Amino acid sequence: MSTTLLISIISTAVVYAATVLYAAVGEIFSQRAGIMNLGLEGIMLMGAVSGYMVAVYRQNLVLAMLVVILVGAALGLVFSFLTVTMQADQTVSGMAMLTFGTGLSGFLGKGVSGVNANLAFEPIAIPVLSRVPVLGPSLFDQNILVYLMYLIIPLSMIYLYKTRAGMILRALGENPAALDSAGYNVFALRYAYVTFGSIMTAVSGAVVSLAYTNFWSDGMTSGKGWIAVALVVFSAWNPLTATFGALLFGAISIIGIDVQTVFPQVPSQVFSALPYVATIIALIFTTGNFRGRRSAAPAALTIPYDREKR
Amino acid sequence: MKKKLISICLAAVLATAVLTACSESAGGTAEQTAEAEEAVKEEAEAEAEAPTEDAAPAEEAAADETAAQAATETAAVAAAETAAAINLIGEDKRDQAPAEGTDFSSLKIGEIESYIVDDGGWCQATHESIVAAMKELGIPEENLIVLESIDDTDQATTQTAAEELINEGCTLIFGASTGYASYLPEIAAAHPEVLFAQWGNKVDNLIGYEIRSYEGMFLAGYASELLSKDTNPELGFSASFNEFSVRTAINAYALGAQYANPEATVRVASADSWYDIDKETQCAQSLIDAGIKYMGMEASSPAIPETCQKNGAFVVGYHNDMSALAPEAVLVSHMWNFAPIFKNIMINAAEGTASTSDFYYWGGDCSKLSDFAAFVPEEVVAEVTALQEKIQSGEVQVFAGELKDNAGNVLVADGEVMSDEDIIFQNFFVEGVTTSWKIGE
Repeated sequence: MSTTLLISIISTAVVYAATVLYAAVGEIFSQRAGIMNLGLEGIMLMGAVSGYMVAVYRQNLVLAMLVVILVGAALGLVFSFLTVTMQADQTVSGMAMLTFGTGLSGFLGKGVSGVNANLAFEPIAIPVLSRVPVLGPSLFDQNILVYLMYLIIPLSMIYLYKTRAGMILRALGENPAALDSAGYNVFALRYAYVTFGSIMTAVSGAVVSLAYTNFWSDGMTSGKGWIAVALVVFSAWNPLTATFGALLFGAISIIGIDVQTVFPQVPSQVFSALPYVATIIALIFTTGNFRGRRSAAPAALTIPYDREKR
Repeated sequence: MKKKLISICLAAVLATAVLTACSESAGGTAEQTAEAEEAVKEEAEAEAEAPTEDAAPAEEAAADETAAQAATETAAVAAAETAAAINLIGEDKRDQAPAEGTDFSSLKIGEIESYIVDDGGWCQATHESIVAAMKELGIPEENLIVLESIDDTDQATTQTAAEELINEGCTLIFGASTGYASYLPEIAAAHPEVLFAQWGNKVDNLIGYEIRSYEGMFLAGYASELLSKDTNPELGFSASFNEFSVRTAINAYALGAQYANPEATVRVASADSWYDIDKETQCAQSLIDAGIKYMGMEASSPAIPETCQKNGAFVVGYHNDMSALAPEAVLVSHMWNFAPIFKNIMINAAEGTASTSDFYYWGGDCSKLSDFAAFVPEEVVAEVTALQEKIQSGEVQVFAGELKDNAGNVLVADGEVMSDEDIIFQNFFVEGVTTSWKIGE
């Protein structure tokens, strides 16, 4: 395997990971708080279209990201209202977010479909580090949203496992009644984490339309939101494991294309099937109930908190 | 609880797969449609060469995306068995002017699209062609009703859409996606006063239309190789699905390249998807990593031109003029231009001379190239233009002998020309094409 090929695979896997990891980390926080949001795909599309629209009409990336964050927050608040305050079924509400986001993004994006914004997050090579063989050009010649992801992963690990706030967050998804007795506002905390998750998901969408590629087309995330949901479970609600999962998934889904130009004698469909095979294997290993191992799923996940029933 | 969660996650993964499949069909239904339609198209002509499998109803065959290849063939058989007379409309009708005093203002036109009309791809090409034809004939814009995102694998949706258009008073309806060929004939039979025109094959009760897209792809390959031959005779091709309209594009591109340089070869990278940004990006990237600088494409998203631009490589755009999306990478674009065909259909519809046995298979400006990018040397543009004229005059035939496939078998003997059926129903890769796709799968 040549060096260029290796760089190309790692580099694409890293960018691919960035497109799903923001959403996955956001969803980990949301699920750790006890709320499962299955509407990630819809929110991602809303993030992608709103960011791209601002880029086209205002030519300002900072403004674009601010709008993306606002859109994510607005959708997050709607979802929190449904699931936390109204205690609606989370699966059904998630599907509602999915169809709503998919449809609205398609409608809003009509004007910018096929329009070139000529404005994207361009790769910035980090001096010195980008000269390291193989890893340099693949990891340190990326755009700012990828670098930001490098920071978010360790920070989210520290937050979750090393801070008091992280402990409260974990308790929120395991035993909200206990937290409530201890004087914490379960509803406010859930609102906050669900909204945070939604913002991260919207940013994931913006990574797709403003960094990974630079265009908008209807339904362009093509299933990335679902991959993010799947990553949350594969990773056992752990951001670091989710990162490896995302890299692996990214590498597997693109490696087939590199391989087919090298080994044209193997039918390309074999490689196209790889990501799904990997998905099934990963599911078996991460969620299979081997010898009664305790599931990592937050105990109160999908269960609305009702003070009167505690 | 745990079990529920796991089952939800499993459902999510399944949903991902389904969504991906859906988006693929949405992005490329048109071509997919091409497959099934073209299959059915050859009704009459196919009889002679029709495979002997059991005939399945054309509807089923066309709807079944997974069985693309087999479906195609069975559909062809089914079609051949119920073959109606085909009235092939010659290219000389291109300049047919409407008769004096023809009233176009009452011609209400419906358009059914599988995706949105500004998708930057197939639907946009069809839509723009309809609008251009209407403009040329002076048909007011409000006479066109467009229904977007009509799933061409869904019988109920498609038929409801068609009925809605009929209720709105449309008398000429264009179905632009392959799958519609399965569902529209039924509606057409129930409404003989309404004309339906359907892309791809010729099926009963529908006017059929298709363009000789290989002419434009031949020119595209020729232009790419003229630019590439001094540094690297190998060209690339980023493809979507292994399906015969795509094979036609690849083969025509390769033959065009070999017309410029007999040593030229084409390496294919395929996404095996109608729409997948990740895979399309990587297709272009892997070709570039292999040292290829010029490539053709047959894919839906702008991911390929973008990747080329990022890497200083060049590409021939597809479906529409893609130069705005990647101005430094797009040499020229191959465009689907149905306008001349639509114009003729509209004239015939308004004059009452259209027949459901009409079939159009036109080349020339229907399979045209956009303007070349400013950075393409003038002598290359001049050579391509000269070749274009030779194709139109018939002096140069794209699929002419001696033509061998990439396994060395002779497809067309020296001095002979491939038949139209074989051109549409391409089931081979020409010599010099490297691909991991297998024929007959």
